[in-house]
Amino acid sequence: MQTPKGIVPAMHNETAAFPQDPQDHNQIDRQLLLERQKDRPFILVVTRNGHLSEHVMEYAVNVAHRLQYGILAVHVDTLPLFHDRGKRSKLFAAAMRESEALFNRKAHNKEVVVEHLGETGKIGGVVSRLCHAKKRIEFVVVDKGIRVQEVARQSPVPVFPVITTQSGQCSKTIVHNPKEKGVFAMSTTSRKRHVKNCFLFGALTSGLYAAVFVNQDAVMTYFTKGGAFALLPVATVFAVSYFHGNFTSAFWSALGIEASKKTAAQRVEADQPVKEGVVAPRPDARPRLQVNV
Amino acid sequence: MHGPISEVIQFIDLNAYTITFLFIVGFIGGLVSGFIGSGGAFVLTPGMMSLGVPGTVAVASNMCHKFPKALVGSIKRYKYGQVDIKLGLIMGVFAEIGVQVGIMLQKHILDKWGQAGSNLYVSIVFVMVLVIVGSFVMRDAVKMKQAGNESAPGTSLAKRLQQIELWPMVTLKTANLRISIWFLLPVAIATGMLAATIAVGGFIGVPGLMYIIGATSIVASATELVIAFVMGLGGTLIWAYYGMVDIRLVMIILAGSLFGVQLGAIGTTYVKDYMIKYVMATIMLIVAVSRFFAIPKYLNQLHLISLADNLENIMTKLSFAIMCFALLVGASIILASLFKARSQEKAAAVTS
Repeated sequence: MQTPKGIVPAMHNETAAFPQDPQDHNQIDRQLLLERQKDRPFILVVTRNGHLSEHVMEYAVNVAHRLQYGILAVHVDTLPLFHDRGKRSKLFAAAMRESEALFNRKAHNKEVVVEHLGETGKIGGVVSRLCHAKKRIEFVVVDKGIRVQEVARQSPVPVFPVITTQSGQCSKTIVHNPKEKGVFAMSTTSRKRHVKNCFLFGALTSGLYAAVFVNQDAVMTYFTKGGAFALLPVATVFAVSYFHGNFTSAFWSALGIEASKKTAAQRVEADQPVKEGVVAPRPDARPRLQVNV
Repeated sequence: MHGPISEVIQFIDLNAYTITFLFIVGFIGGLVSGFIGSGGAFVLTPGMMSLGVPGTVAVASNMCHKFPKALVGSIKRYKYGQVDIKLGLIMGVFAEIGVQVGIMLQKHILDKWGQAGSNLYVSIVFVMVLVIVGSFVMRDAVKMKQAGNESAPGTSLAKRLQQIELWPMVTLKTANLRISIWFLLPVAIATGMLAATIAVGGFIGVPGLMYIIGATSIVASATELVIAFVMGLGGTLIWAYYGMVDIRLVMIILAGSLFGVQLGAIGTTYVKDYMIKYVMATIMLIVAVSRFFAIPKYLNQLHLISLADNLENIMTKLSFAIMCFALLVGASIILASLFKARSQEKAAAVTS
């Protein structure tokens, strides 16, 4: 595989999701499927994001399952030389690993083969290079954030975007809430930001507490009047839960105590693996000549 | 009750001991709530009363601290994808009915047998519910641990109920099940009744969600926080209408409990499914023992048995101490498993 000067492919790891499994398949079925795999055509799935959208994964897996194709999933880091001391690249690589795990899981359920590739450079260039280097790529599916024209100009095979409607699968894509912490959302949330939030909300919380406790007498007089004044304590505790809630959240994050990273990657719907029906050979019903001696 | 009656209520003065006590109990209670969906509240009411807070103010302030804590906890756990909001809201609304039924029942008992009778009723309900449900949950947790199971397979009862198509059916996406509202109703009402009686509805709510509705313990405990929010908000509005909420106490408890609830919620992302059941059952069983020691006192007050004054005193103190112990044990198991799992994950990350 040739790469443009100065740009090195980030990583190349191939994971065939299918052959690792299953006890249910006997040896013969396995061999049959492996043979069929060898010259199986591929769907090229391209993303420039750390995490490939889930609906694109699902679409690719479903089509590949139906057509008996393999999938070549490529994460293209379009800004490999971004000036942040390699932080973006590191995050990108980590996000890519999570995305790969998720994709493998989805593909595994439908027994589709997925190969993963990490590339750097321009999307169009990468697609063109891969289509020439790896034969039998039938079509390209691009993730959100990639202009179809940009890829189509250089691609020898058709290029499809996966567009979703608001009411359709879009809801699935927002599983990766950008506000979510950790590398899962390719977020750049750093400890520094948590510390900043911690101080900000800490100050606001202290302000609120100081206001209540300094004016204790007045507060107790009005807050316990009852009737419509009931809204005062309720509103106050809502304010406390917002300010103090954010403060405590940032506090633990700033200390480095955050949710398990495994949980995010494992959140895949528990689809039952789809069993590939092995077609029984058709009985040979041709007439035969029999000679009785 | 008609209109505000705050003029008869005495609010206590705060000192360093009161503040520290409430902060620490708040933190530990919050930690347990964030993890198993409820708990902590049962220590706070008697705890506040031992500080000299009048009973009604203690109950009202406890209720008022419960819903913001549940709100923060459920938002945190929603981010981890553990909360079924639809289930929580439906259950919460019905649980509110249960709370009203529970209050009516309490009033009826209070009128008939007086304060001691009412206390005896509460304690007996406590012990019975906690022993029966607690030992069932514990047995299940031990079984799951031995089987090395990570996710609950769903009980046969829940599966059978899910198959019954009785209008109106609800589809619950996060909990990943479809069930008739008629089966949610009794669980929710029982949760509300227990909440009105012993301040911790979750001891019925979470096992109900797990074994009758069929949710996993992670989803059940997270959803219980939504139920607690709805019930707590409703209850607080009523108590605040009568001017019973001491906002200072509430804010001190919240100062501690929001730290705890965040940590408890983080803890759920590290542990296996059976761990939640295990912690819950442990707390329930120890609390049952604690309430068992409270029963003789009320029997004595009803002149059903005769007990020496100092013995009664010792038993009351012992009961409260065991209750605090329950909370401490729960909190230590949570913290220990959180930090153990964290260091294991870190070690695994370093080696890979």
